[in-house]
Amino acid sequence: MKIRRGGIRMSNKTCLICQGTGCVSAGSREIHASLEKEIEQLGLSKDVKVKRTGCHGFCEQGPLVVVEPEGLFYAGVKVDDVPDIARSLSPQGEPLEEKPLYHDSATGNPITHYHDISFYNKQQRTVLQNCGNIDPEEIGDYLATGGYQSLRKALFEMSPGQIVDEVKRSGLRGLGGAGFPTWIKWEACQRAPGDEKYVICNADEGDPGAFQDRSILEGDPHSVLKGMIIAGYAIGARKGYVYVRAEYPLAIKRLEIAIDQARKKGFIGKSILDSNFSFDIEIFQGAGAFVCGEETALLASIEGKRGMPRPRPPFPAQSGLWGKPTLISNVKTYANIRWIVNKGADWFAGIGTEGCKGTAIFSLTGKIANSGIVEVPMGITLREIIYGIGGGIPGGKPFKAVQTGGPSGGCLPAELLDTPVDFDSLKAAGSMMGSGGMVVVDEDTCIVDLARYFVDFATKESCGECAPCRLGTNQMLDILNDIVEGKGEMEDIDILESLGMGIKKGSLCGLGQTAPNPVLTTLKYFREEYEEHIIEKKCRAKVCKDLIHFIIMPDRCTGCHICTKVCPVNAISGDPKQIHEIDQELCIKCGLCFEKCPPKFGAIEKNYGSKVMED
Amino acid sequence: MIKSTADIFSDFKGTEDDLIPVLQKVQENFGYLSQKSMMDVGRFLRIPTSKVWATATFYTQFRLKPIGEKHIMLCRGTACHVKGAPRILDEIELKLGITEGETSSDGKYSLESVACIGACGLAPCILINEDVKGRLTPKLVNKLFEDKERRDQDVE
Amino acid sequence: MDMLSFNINGKLLTVGKGKTILEAALENSIYIPNLCHHPDLVPSGNCRMCIVEIEGRRGQIISCTTPVEEGMVVRTDSQEISHVRQTTLELIHANHTQDCTNCSSNSACELQKVTAYVGVNEERLGRLRRTRQHYNIDDSNPFFSLDHNKCIMCGICIRTCDEVQGVNALDYGFRGFNTVVSTFGDKPIKESVCESCGECVVRCPVGALTFKETRQPTFEVKTVCAYCGVGCNIYLGVRGNKIVSSRGDRDSIVNKGRLCVKGRFGYEFVNHEDRLKVPLIKKNGTFVESTWEEAFSIIVEKFSAVESKQFAAFTSAKMTNEDNYVIQKFTRAVMGTNNIDHCARLCHAPTVSGLVQSLGSGAMTNSIDEFTNAKTIFSIGSNTTAAHPIIGLHIKEAKRKGAKIIVANPKEIDLCRFADVFMQQYPGTDVVLLMGMMKVIIDEHLQDEEFIKTRTEGYDEFLDSLTDFDLDTTEKITGVPKGKIIEAARLYATNTPSSLVYAMGITQHSHGTDNVLAVSNLALLTGSVGKESSGINPLRGQNNVQGACDMGGLPDVYPGYQKVTKPWAKEKFEEHWGVKLDPEEGLTHTEIFDEIEKGNIKALYQVGENPILSEADSNHVKRALANLDFFVVQDIFMTETAKYADIVLPAASFAEKDGTFTNTERRVQRVRKAVIPEGETKDDWWIASEIARRMGAKGFDYESPNDIMDEINRVVPIYGGITFERIEDEGLQWPCPTTNHPGTKFLHGEKFTRPNGLGKLFPLTYKASIELPDSEYPLLLTTDRSLYHYHTSTMTRKVKGLEILDGEEFLKVNPEDAQQMEISDGEYVTVRSRRGDVRVKIKITRIVPKGIASLTFHFHETPTNELTICAIDPVAKIPETKVCSIRVEKMET
Repeated sequence: MKIRRGGIRMSNKTCLICQGTGCVSAGSREIHASLEKEIEQLGLSKDVKVKRTGCHGFCEQGPLVVVEPEGLFYAGVKVDDVPDIARSLSPQGEPLEEKPLYHDSATGNPITHYHDISFYNKQQRTVLQNCGNIDPEEIGDYLATGGYQSLRKALFEMSPGQIVDEVKRSGLRGLGGAGFPTWIKWEACQRAPGDEKYVICNADEGDPGAFQDRSILEGDPHSVLKGMIIAGYAIGARKGYVYVRAEYPLAIKRLEIAIDQARKKGFIGKSILDSNFSFDIEIFQGAGAFVCGEETALLASIEGKRGMPRPRPPFPAQSGLWGKPTLISNVKTYANIRWIVNKGADWFAGIGTEGCKGTAIFSLTGKIANSGIVEVPMGITLREIIYGIGGGIPGGKPFKAVQTGGPSGGCLPAELLDTPVDFDSLKAAGSMMGSGGMVVVDEDTCIVDLARYFVDFATKESCGECAPCRLGTNQMLDILNDIVEGKGEMEDIDILESLGMGIKKGSLCGLGQTAPNPVLTTLKYFREEYEEHIIEKKCRAKVCKDLIHFIIMPDRCTGCHICTKVCPVNAISGDPKQIHEIDQELCIKCGLCFEKCPPKFGAIEKNYGSKVMED
Repeated sequence: MIKSTADIFSDFKGTEDDLIPVLQKVQENFGYLSQKSMMDVGRFLRIPTSKVWATATFYTQFRLKPIGEKHIMLCRGTACHVKGAPRILDEIELKLGITEGETSSDGKYSLESVACIGACGLAPCILINEDVKGRLTPKLVNKLFEDKERRDQDVE
Repeated sequence: MDMLSFNINGKLLTVGKGKTILEAALENSIYIPNLCHHPDLVPSGNCRMCIVEIEGRRGQIISCTTPVEEGMVVRTDSQEISHVRQTTLELIHANHTQDCTNCSSNSACELQKVTAYVGVNEERLGRLRRTRQHYNIDDSNPFFSLDHNKCIMCGICIRTCDEVQGVNALDYGFRGFNTVVSTFGDKPIKESVCESCGECVVRCPVGALTFKETRQPTFEVKTVCAYCGVGCNIYLGVRGNKIVSSRGDRDSIVNKGRLCVKGRFGYEFVNHEDRLKVPLIKKNGTFVESTWEEAFSIIVEKFSAVESKQFAAFTSAKMTNEDNYVIQKFTRAVMGTNNIDHCARLCHAPTVSGLVQSLGSGAMTNSIDEFTNAKTIFSIGSNTTAAHPIIGLHIKEAKRKGAKIIVANPKEIDLCRFADVFMQQYPGTDVVLLMGMMKVIIDEHLQDEEFIKTRTEGYDEFLDSLTDFDLDTTEKITGVPKGKIIEAARLYATNTPSSLVYAMGITQHSHGTDNVLAVSNLALLTGSVGKESSGINPLRGQNNVQGACDMGGLPDVYPGYQKVTKPWAKEKFEEHWGVKLDPEEGLTHTEIFDEIEKGNIKALYQVGENPILSEADSNHVKRALANLDFFVVQDIFMTETAKYADIVLPAASFAEKDGTFTNTERRVQRVRKAVIPEGETKDDWWIASEIARRMGAKGFDYESPNDIMDEINRVVPIYGGITFERIEDEGLQWPCPTTNHPGTKFLHGEKFTRPNGLGKLFPLTYKASIELPDSEYPLLLTTDRSLYHYHTSTMTRKVKGLEILDGEEFLKVNPEDAQQMEISDGEYVTVRSRRGDVRVKIKITRIVPKGIASLTFHFHETPTNELTICAIDPVAKIPETKVCSIRVEKMET
């Protein structure tokens, strides 16, 4: 599959420096400043353009620098590498050969061009096409890719009804998680009476382990805005909100810039492109509540209230913000609209599977060689993503499970690696697409602890309104805590299952209705790990503190005293140069000694069982 | 510069839906939401103070107590979790002598956790004020807070 | 109403359109378990108990938010529904105090009811982890407790406090498992804005919010609340001979079951140990317990000895109509004088004098319930939520239904929270403010020309006088920004129906009658009177102040506002009563004290009043009382004033007698005896009749209040058709001339009650208040009311809980003034006026604007009226208790 790059014509060499959050925190701002300086000093400013772009997706490898038109790919760039890169950009310069080229995670060989990198060349980047190729703070870049053409087409060549029809024929389903057919909402909003309606972009990407919405907003904000404007035209709204988490300051900043620039260009505001359609967009910063990803909670939040969901019906399309018809869709859903308008529903429907059209975007993270954002056509298998794009588990460790859909989703075992990735197949397997988190875990992750982690998350994020979720998640957490502490009993498994089903069916909103999923799927696929914790008091991943112990191997201890110094509770005794010993009564299993013991000695071992077994 | 609540309010139209943005601005300005400032907000927006309170206590972003100079937010996203965030938390707690949700007595550090900062590629990571620190190990944590030890020694 | 048919559990039901499945089921005796549903509240759907299955829809659907649709097929039970309900219920139980027998809600608990229906498996429950949380019980409120450990988070209390009360003391706090019902700052309830109405406690389905008084009544008696003019219908619960509870009557159109803190908790005074129980006679300067016989013999002797003109009587706005009728009849028919008045003189005298001139009747034109359908409500000079809490609720309800609220008040009262326009006028400038608004209305042609032409007179003269009130002048004098005056004028004139309410802020001025005329000008000019939900509504302060006036407790009119100076009226009453009557008007309240001081009045019969605290410039009252030859006080407690009496007679309280009260909306309602009076306490009508009989008078042989009402029916046309029989269940609003007349919901519908049937517009000029601040007394003192107290607090301060909630007077001053005077919050100061001084604590608050300070008159320790001025309105003779000047002096340390 050939990857597509953005449509900017590049006559000169262009250096694209990723300024996504991942790369920025890895130091890409410094790289940018230093590269500009170097290029100026070398007198190359005329020939070489340096561009700051949004996320390239391969966050694992940041800071990333791509050189076009050759498509050179430099990863993990350090300031020290910059002079070399700068020199290579001169007309007579040659691509660098070793550092900082990307090294294939499997073979360890350097790869020069991004299209040879398996992380990229197996993807189908449609929605993400501009991410990493344009400067998100420059509307000119976006316009150069043909941006806002679809808006012109929508406003002047299509009626609102035609747009809704096109969305319907495209088969687009909401990419926020549940996969609800997008056109149904559009049509309901369009048909709703009144002229006060709202378009809301749900960018409250709260799933731990998902960050693709953020990448799109940071890398290509105009594609989202444009989708919203077209939606506004289609349903007859005049006002839109982007509800974005306050934890995403960069995304907010870029959106602000984009809205401002689009307004100046006449794409947002009164009489857009001199049509009689007016539409304005405002950013609303969420204040830290996962539940606000639920649409009715999100509405409450914009209205200034606690983000507590309310029963549906009425649906937001009937009675949403301030009781007015409101269209709420996810970032990715809006970002797809321009393709549907530009290239037509048939083109879009050509991608994906029978029931799920278009592409899916995942944040591939965890114990995976190539973590980052990936965009693939619907229907590709988990294996293709994890091994083909993700490069498998680092260090050659065996795959244990993949968690998709975050706290609402489930954990799928190796047997299900050939499951196609789409709304329906994942749901059938007990998990879900969710907002696109895909976390790979290996043998070092305890499945019970992972389930406990998600339930803990749900407990903290439950809004507290309905009893099943407020009390049920906490009850499950108590039980799971007992299990990981070795205090579980076999009947706890039945209770978890029965509670889980009750909570799923009894809860008011999607959060509670899906909160038991991580427990229920792990009970389904990894039941033996629960049983081990309960019966054998054993955590096979050696993660659960109460089920492991540390011991100093007398034959390897040199009495170097490093461990005694780091032990926070003075549980290790032993004179210098004498063999040390851990007092198991005092030990809090923090593992500091285990980490600090110099590898050349490796004198401390982590073992099963809460205590040293007496011989 | 610290503004008065009246100054902050002058940027808003003063309707109910301003509540969260106003609270955000007030917190940005004062570092936290005092009861006095929440009462001011209620009066400005003509919202009962109990509703201001209900909203302020609902969202994790809002703090009801002053925070330290360095506000450390530990990401508890899934990627971070499976890549050792709990261990990082232990280490920070040990190092700073405060537990999650606390502020050190000298007012230098506050430690909180946050749902996910969306830098999963860099897991495990933390946010110190606005800066993301990624790919953390216990060792790196030690290094990050080295000055803490130095200061403690100065005090001694 | 459109009807829908649907099938539920195989049964076909037909219900009104718009009903939810739950409502439809419950109405038809099909139980669907529920915990967070309450008929008064918007459904929230959070308890998840009322799930049902609907054919053709996936999963379980909650019935409390799902409307019935035609042809729907609903099942309320299935195995799956049961499992879900059980799971939720078990979770609630695992998190709930398990000791039902020690819970005061035991057997009245919805959780028990639901559990009994759904069934909870004890074994499964035992497997769940018990909660680790433990909350302290919030016992801070004197009347009720909040135990979070029993809370099921149904949110009914929160929604009640919001939707019913608009107080918003409670809301959810925090999140997830830690979510609690919380006050602002998670403080104890007493420290919150809670008004202790107890509405949340009434609705709490479990034992989380419970009354501290846990004794259950053995029987209940339906009667009318004894506080304020709203006249809420209540059921007093009696156990032994004591009142142990009070609850609102949900069927009453007046209060619809709702009560304020006084109505729900303020009955302790009835059984208070300080109640007067036997007649007391002052001998050698001290009161000695005596007998009725002895007391009557002295009274008869003394009363017989004075000339008619030397006698005066004060009747009481707290007594029944029957009591009032008999006392005024005694004064007129036996003592031969019209020297009878009561405290209406101190509150609504200008209403009567003003509205009689302009409309023909001084009563509230509309009904309380009509407020909820008004589009604009203009409250001026009324702290409605404090003084008339249930009318406050009606206004809040109107607001929720979309009405615009205009508040004009020198203080930022609680109602301002709901106001669309708040005009903070300088005290005493109401005429200017109102005329200024009318100038805007004329300038913008918003007046109701048709109404003016067909239903009013005096328009041209009125218009001429309006020229003085241009916006600049109005803004300058009132201090209200022009924009707000314009906005208020437009709203009131155009967003109709508009209803206007006012109270003491309008009347208690030396130009109170002008104020009232300004109010009626505004209503007449815009045609906002004589219509449904549109009119002029002076809110009566005391429970039966309307009735006391109706019954002729006034020096110028016989019962039913029949003028004593009109020969036909005099002849009519002479015929009915069989005596010759005084043809001249008697003296008013304020004049009576003047005449006592001058020595012209020698004997005073005072029933249920406490002028030492209530009368302006009360030192003047003290001097007068000391000058009396003979002073009889009839009351339920030894009041500050009663101490001056020669004889004190013990009277029955409202809970110990039968009769009627007439509330502020002219509704005559039945008062019923709930407990038997202790000791020698007697009904007021009986005492007065007994004196009359012993003085040889005829026509006082009443055996019951019913007999008195029969006589009232005959002589008072507006009460002609109001019999005990007819008002057994629900009161009737006068005018109700005949026994088949339905009563009158609103007045002046066809024509005004002035002789020519027209309303009259009056030209007005601005008259400043008599005493304004100067360099010597730089602050303006105004007076107000507390929600927790009533009048001079003879009743409310006998209620321990009210005393805990509000036990002390504070001088409210603006922060800027406080800073200038270098006084701090809670500091004791001396407040001095030209007439007296009091010692009081300071409360610094933005409620009062700069330059203005405020006191109530509820506390005998701080007799506010020693400061106020007895500047009198020339027509109504009301003193100017709303404006005088004071200075604040720091206490010597």
